[in-house]
Amino acid sequence: MPVYVDVSRCIGCRSCEVACKRVHSGRSYMEVKVIDSRASVPVTCHHCEVATCTMACFSQALSKDGERTAFDIHKCTGCGLCALACPFGVVWTDKWAHKCDLCKGLESPICVITCPAQALSLDPDAAPKRARTRAAAAVALAQGDKR
Amino acid sequence: MISLDTTKCIGCCSCSNVCPNKNITKEDLGDKRTIRYKKCSEFCDICVESCPGKALILAAQGEDVEIAFDLVRCTVCGEPFATGKMLDRIRSSVPEDLRVDSSGQSWVEICPMCRRGLERERAARPVINSRA
Repeated sequence: MPVYVDVSRCIGCRSCEVACKRVHSGRSYMEVKVIDSRASVPVTCHHCEVATCTMACFSQALSKDGERTAFDIHKCTGCGLCALACPFGVVWTDKWAHKCDLCKGLESPICVITCPAQALSLDPDAAPKRARTRAAAAVALAQGDKR
Repeated sequence: MISLDTTKCIGCCSCSNVCPNKNITKEDLGDKRTIRYKKCSEFCDICVESCPGKALILAAQGEDVEIAFDLVRCTVCGEPFATGKMLDRIRSSVPEDLRVDSSGQSWVEICPMCRRGLERERAARPVINSRA
């Protein structure tokens, strides 16, 4: 159950980043950047089914908890191996590791709640569903014009 | 007091990170990482417990030790980012088929910042093309 991103809807406002920072004591587990002035992409933990970060973590601070890739700061030594084992570079380490926890305790991740453009969702089918709705609306409108 | 097995140390940041008395310090300068162990008189074993390479043991005798590593440069941006032994450790703990991205390129030699950049680029490309 990761946070799914619809890049075509992201407006690059970085509200998700700010909200994430607010909830996680001043650290954001999400990073938004603009590419070629044409698109913006937020990147965050994918909560991989087979999570390579958990394989590299020797202290069991990172582990799979259902669909979530959970992190226990009390077990972390700050070795930095997880950051090097993440294919997407979305486990950060300074003194300790930090990464997306899907806002455990909140009804929904704060980035999903906050995104004003509805670019973030917990539903992998959110983008195709919207495309279908738009297509259906366009068809209905065209038919209405004919009448 | 602690004793260091220099053949087992991978040059990570664990011991310097957890030492409550700053007896172990890590310094990255250019593409060199130096870890310095001051002879310590503490009765704790936090660093020993926190070592992923099991390179530290408690010892009756101790001395100042220094160990240096060459940092490997990222194949994309060229910045030094990790010791070779840390990357070897990733190669030994992550199966080979998981160490390549969708295009078949190995990501281990790429720094985390560039990995994020490549990921963003991959995700943005279709949208950029549709807006061109």
